Amino acid sequence: MPVTFTFGEMLSARSVIGSTLAELGAEYPNLYVLTPDIGATLVEFRDGFPDRFIDVGLAEQACVGIASGLAYDGNIPVVSGMLPFLSMRALEQVRTDVCYPNLPVKIIGTHGGLVGNGGSTHYAVEDLTLMGALTNMTVTSIGDPAMVGEVIRQSMTMEGPIYIRLAVGKKDKVLYEPGEHDVRIGKGIVAREGTDATIFTHGTTVAQALDAADELAADGHSVRVVDMWTLKPIDEELVLRSAAETGGRFVVLEDHLAYGGLATRIADVVADNGVHLTAFERLGIPQVYAGFGEDQELREKHGYGPADTVAALRRAIAVQP
Amino acid sequence: MGRAPLTATDERRSVEELEDLAFELREKLLHLCGTYEGAVHIGGDLSAADIFTALFEYGMNVDPDNISNPERDRFVLSKGHAAVCMYIAMAIRGFLSYDEIVETYGQLDSAYGMHPCKVQLPGVEASTGSLGHGLPIAVGMALGARGRGDDHRVFCLLGDGETGEGSVWEAVMAARSNKLGNLVAFVDRNRQLMTSFAEERVMFEPYPDKWRAFGWNVVEIDGHDMSQLVAALDALPASDSDTPTVIVAETVKGKGVDFMERNLAWHAGSLGAADLERALAALNDSREKETV
Repeated sequence: MPVTFTFGEMLSARSVIGSTLAELGAEYPNLYVLTPDIGATLVEFRDGFPDRFIDVGLAEQACVGIASGLAYDGNIPVVSGMLPFLSMRALEQVRTDVCYPNLPVKIIGTHGGLVGNGGSTHYAVEDLTLMGALTNMTVTSIGDPAMVGEVIRQSMTMEGPIYIRLAVGKKDKVLYEPGEHDVRIGKGIVAREGTDATIFTHGTTVAQALDAADELAADGHSVRVVDMWTLKPIDEELVLRSAAETGGRFVVLEDHLAYGGLATRIADVVADNGVHLTAFERLGIPQVYAGFGEDQELREKHGYGPADTVAALRRAIAVQP
Repeated sequence: MGRAPLTATDERRSVEELEDLAFELREKLLHLCGTYEGAVHIGGDLSAADIFTALFEYGMNVDPDNISNPERDRFVLSKGHAAVCMYIAMAIRGFLSYDEIVETYGQLDSAYGMHPCKVQLPGVEASTGSLGHGLPIAVGMALGARGRGDDHRVFCLLGDGETGEGSVWEAVMAARSNKLGNLVAFVDRNRQLMTSFAEERVMFEPYPDKWRAFGWNVVEIDGHDMSQLVAALDALPASDSDTPTVIVAETVKGKGVDFMERNLAWHAGSLGAADLERALAALNDSREKETV
């Protein structure tokens, strides 16, 4: 079964946001979409429901605060924008105005990771640490465009807030056949079964992990690929089961700081449960401001590109318990 | 005001009655300040006491029999450190129990804390306390009302100091851009920050002009003159109009207690028994002076 292929702009994640929200706007008369001037992909919703489309301009703090007020008032607000700004400039509004009263505000955005070539002003590389620290916040990172739509749909009935992290959107690959996996918030997806090692990842690097698993399969190694798209609450059962079923060999790959994101969450599960791993490798962004370059170039430069992924898996598999 | 009151039995309060209620609010504030051992933000409570009274007892359409009546006017306390003044004003209006406030304030598991929490005290409209957050929330509530075609208003009380926060002005622009004539902001212009006098450290003036420049309907009043508060509330534009209103209320931090007035030391504090008596005596004196 083909797993990854480029599906083009029509099914890219950002247009999935727009069309999904437009569908949901008809279903939910109390659905509002707010944006700080990042509304280009929300045209369908804007045109369909102009009274419920609020573009505040360059004002992330007010954007999240207004979303909070709408939610207090019984509405379902979706804030869509660029994640470096929503997760940092508006962090206190997210924490105090949304998470503290546990309001059903959805924060969806792009530019998670070293994508878009905007430089460190425009890369959200700390966001999963920041959002993950917030009580009541559900934290997700999604690579598959169809899944984005599905998760937005599921989020409509959530009581509390959710953070949905995307990369760039337009180049996102379709990873899964429709209906191939049971998509449920809080449950990881076993994108590929395997027994020698597990690679955990999320978002835009799932495709890279699958490619690495293919390469190792050619050498007779069986690598499990887990798309841990819900980082919080993490699927603890799947982490523990994978430790038991794949020789205690873990590699964690993410387009985020290597410390403070998924790798840290998995290490917490492992430590809290007294599990002794055979191998544990983190592939992610080191503590640097990453500079300019295309996504792939930056991943390679900073040590978490395709070749690094294959090498880390080979090292993990070579370790004997 | 146009709309029928939610509580049909209530008659509109007279200015004299409102002044008495504001006095009662100050008295109760001082008693709490003399009961609770921790710091109470008494300075900014006293500066806002007349505004609270005018809102809860006159200007806002609220329903003490049903605190979450969907037709109620909403009140967002952006200057969240005046929570205790809001709790007591709500108690006087019949929403909450003053005895419970005094007995539990600031204690473990109490609903009544230094800054209001919607989860612990569902009767308040929003969890606030971090300054500069209330007006954006109020804008969201006003948008929600517009979206449903509701004609209630959303009131928001800010301190002048907190309007140093940039997020306030983001919301000021958003309110104007979205034509939220159902939004009414009060600024408690007591001209003091926590540790300094406003104009010495931060030049707010020309203050009302700043709001005018952002396209708001600006009303300037003496925030301790009940007849001016009533007149400003009577003159509010219809809630379906296009321009948000700000009432810039000139006030005195610590108003009513001479040794607290315009005294930086009394941003917050607690009163021992002797000083409580002194404060209550000062409050009585100040009323007598005004009556004369």
